[in-house]
Amino acid sequence: MIETIAFYCMAAVALGGAVLVVSLRNTVHSALALGLSLAGVAGLFACLGADFLFAGQLLIYVGGIAILIVFVVMLLGRTSDLHLRQVNEQWAAALLVCAITGAGLWRLGGLYRAATSSVPATATTRSIGLLMLGDYALPFELISLVLLAALLGAVFFSRKDIS
Amino acid sequence: MSLSLGHYLVLGAALFLIGLFGALTRRNVISILMSIELMFNAANINLAAFNHYLHPAAVTGMTVALFVITIAAAEVVVGLALVLAIYRNSATAYVEDFHLLKG
Amino acid sequence: MLEHVYLIPLIPLVVSFIILLAAPEDPHSPMPWVGIAATGWCLVQSSAIFYGAATGALHLPYQMDWSWFSFGASVGGKPFLYDMPIGVLIDGPAAVMLVVVCLVSFLVQVYSLAYMHGDTRFKRYYAYLSFFTASMLGLVVSSNLLVTFCCWELVGFSSYILIGFWFERAEPAYAAKKAFITTKLGDLGLYVALLLIFSLVGSFQIPQIAQFVERGYMPAGAATAIGLGLLCGAAGKSAQFPLFIWLPDAMEGPTPVSALIHAATMVAAGIYLVAKCYFIFAASPVAMFAVAWAGALTALLAATMALVCYDIKRVLAFSTVSQLGFMMCALGCWGYTAGLFHLTTHAAFKALLFLCAGSVIHAVHTNDMRLMGNLSKKMPFTALATFVGTCAIAGIPFLSGWYSKDMILERVYEYDPHLFLILALSAVLTAFYMFRLVFLTFTGTERDLERYRHAHESPWTITVPLGILAVLSIFSGALLEHNHLFEHLVHFEPPAGLAPRLHEAPPGLGWVVFAAVACAILFSYRLYGGHDFRLAEDLKRRLAPVFNLLERRYYLDEIFLALVDLGDRSARLAFWVDSEVIDRIFVDGWGLLTLLAAQLGQLFDTLFIDRMVDETGGLSVSVGGALRWLVRRGMVQEYLLWTAAVLSTLAFLIAWR
Repeated sequence: MIETIAFYCMAAVALGGAVLVVSLRNTVHSALALGLSLAGVAGLFACLGADFLFAGQLLIYVGGIAILIVFVVMLLGRTSDLHLRQVNEQWAAALLVCAITGAGLWRLGGLYRAATSSVPATATTRSIGLLMLGDYALPFELISLVLLAALLGAVFFSRKDIS
Repeated sequence: MSLSLGHYLVLGAALFLIGLFGALTRRNVISILMSIELMFNAANINLAAFNHYLHPAAVTGMTVALFVITIAAAEVVVGLALVLAIYRNSATAYVEDFHLLKG
Repeated sequence: MLEHVYLIPLIPLVVSFIILLAAPEDPHSPMPWVGIAATGWCLVQSSAIFYGAATGALHLPYQMDWSWFSFGASVGGKPFLYDMPIGVLIDGPAAVMLVVVCLVSFLVQVYSLAYMHGDTRFKRYYAYLSFFTASMLGLVVSSNLLVTFCCWELVGFSSYILIGFWFERAEPAYAAKKAFITTKLGDLGLYVALLLIFSLVGSFQIPQIAQFVERGYMPAGAATAIGLGLLCGAAGKSAQFPLFIWLPDAMEGPTPVSALIHAATMVAAGIYLVAKCYFIFAASPVAMFAVAWAGALTALLAATMALVCYDIKRVLAFSTVSQLGFMMCALGCWGYTAGLFHLTTHAAFKALLFLCAGSVIHAVHTNDMRLMGNLSKKMPFTALATFVGTCAIAGIPFLSGWYSKDMILERVYEYDPHLFLILALSAVLTAFYMFRLVFLTFTGTERDLERYRHAHESPWTITVPLGILAVLSIFSGALLEHNHLFEHLVHFEPPAGLAPRLHEAPPGLGWVVFAAVACAILFSYRLYGGHDFRLAEDLKRRLAPVFNLLERRYYLDEIFLALVDLGDRSARLAFWVDSEVIDRIFVDGWGLLTLLAAQLGQLFDTLFIDRMVDETGGLSVSVGGALRWLVRRGMVQEYLLWTAAVLSTLAFLIAWR
């Protein structure tokens, strides 16, 4: 019971935030809505019993990425932009595409729709840690390489004398 | 009614579609990046949901979702750096102004 | 002695090759004596067989076969063995013919010693004569019709090489070709008959075929066809109308050859074949009818043509054709015995007449009777022999020819009086022109003094055979008629109901005919017996158109040549049609069509296929261009839209499967 309510609340937050992200004219507001949506998603992770994922989402996405985006938006934005139309001409075509994709996804998901689970949530951190350093050790190391590359790239691109 | 996998899948699909719509229609480059973030999150929700409902004992879905988060972060960083570099050059953050690939 | 009868044809064959190969060519070669000895041996053997058959010591028919080859076949689903044996079949006619052939051959070979003496190919002549004798004897004794046919062809070939013996001159070469080709024409019919026989009976053995016919297995139509085919072959060989045109020209050969082949033996082969296969004619009234009328027609026409000849041998040739017509007509009127009887007597007196003619020619070195005359003073023996022969052929009573001719006339009258009339007329004409020959040659005044001076009687090698034949001409008829000897040997039992005596022959018929013959002889004496021929010349002037027709031999030569020309023309026409029309239309035309099709294909290829290829390339370029239109603005989001659209559609489609 409580799970259902929690789910619907978190879902509303996530979807509402997402809708705001794609529809607000004010880009800063849009960025903040993103943060909200990501938080909602973190709540959904909690509903699913993924405790580490919930924490990680909040830390990384909301606390890191969303804030970063807000900074950059503020860096780039102009006051004159705040009232400009932010959606371009191909919104109808985009809607159509989304509809088709939605239909396809609906059909694909048909198989799995009925699955239910009544297993109580357990702490997952330990297991994730064991997996990371066990079976997925290689991807784990590679991820660190990717992060290194991203870091380097970001630093490189942010230099002043880039042409 | 009790929750089933279907609820989460529908939610993930909806989030993904919203993100797709945003990626196709927003004029601001950063808005596009934000929409992409939404799509990543939709995928993460799917992963976690499948993990919880189909393989409750394992943590594989969550681990992969973690990887996705990491990658998304890296991607956003690089993307924003690129946007800053382009903004320095052309003083605009609107994607319709970037038509060097024209022709 | 009958067990060795197969040697009778084989020994002359071997001897002919020995003569040909064992000694060099020499005008005075001794090899001929080998040939004469061999023929003499054959004569002794044949006479012994005949004597044994006549007295009843030997039982005829005698048959002995060796297996030549056999092959199996499937007839109506069942296996059937076709047997092809070679063997001998000696019945009455065969025994008689053996003696006739051997005797005449022997006498001719002795005669040729003097006649052909000094000829450049003297030795080879005897080889050819022996080869001919062997072929003819093979024809006579064979029990297998196919072997008979082979001997038939060999006899024709022997005739060719002997007629054309002096081939350096154009006429003998031409005459030899003419003889061979004309008889070959008749042989086509014979060949068809043989094929029919084999297809119906499954065997060539004469007794088996006779059995087949007697039991009634042979359909009437087939019997008629076979009979007509056999008649065709016999007409060629025995010079019946219209295939007799070769016989007068065959006189270009040496006279002994004419005596042997074209008087007594080869030309008798046709008659003999008809007699041998008489059971087939008995089964087909149509064929019998054809035989009778062919014979009668030949007898009359040949007699008329003999009236106007000045060449002594040509007269005899036409008379041979006429007498063969008699024999054929007799056979066609159910006169089996009569026909073969006449064949036997005719062999004797015709050979005699030819050898006498040869003797005369040898003396005066010409064939033309207009250059002879009064030769009885110089060659009395020859003259006497000729006179005897002429009387025999004319049918003077109690000579051999009278017996056989009378028998024929009687049989023919019983069958059809019209045929009798034709034959009687022919007999009268025969007497007339034969005595004309005698009068022109031996009586009257000599017309060429040079030749007359050099003429002399021939040596014994010539006159002795003449004597023997003269004696035979006188007595053979009576001898064979004694106790109906010939009839016992040579007779044919007609199947029940056939050979009716349709018309009763009045008694004394023969004497009536003899009266007419006597008148003819007197008339001939009146025209030709004296010292001037005013009446003859007068008649000739009055009847000039008739004379012309007879002299041109009823234009039969021209007709045949015209037919040959027609054949040549139609062959040329067919060739022209083939090469100009058919080849042009079908072969060249086909080639042109193929070329056209190829060109059409090429056109199609250039116009359509190549264009399609080009258009496909163009299409690719256009599509590429169209796609470039999609991305012409360089707007990233548009690219994104397209990508998303395609992917989503694909995903949708995959999801909906």
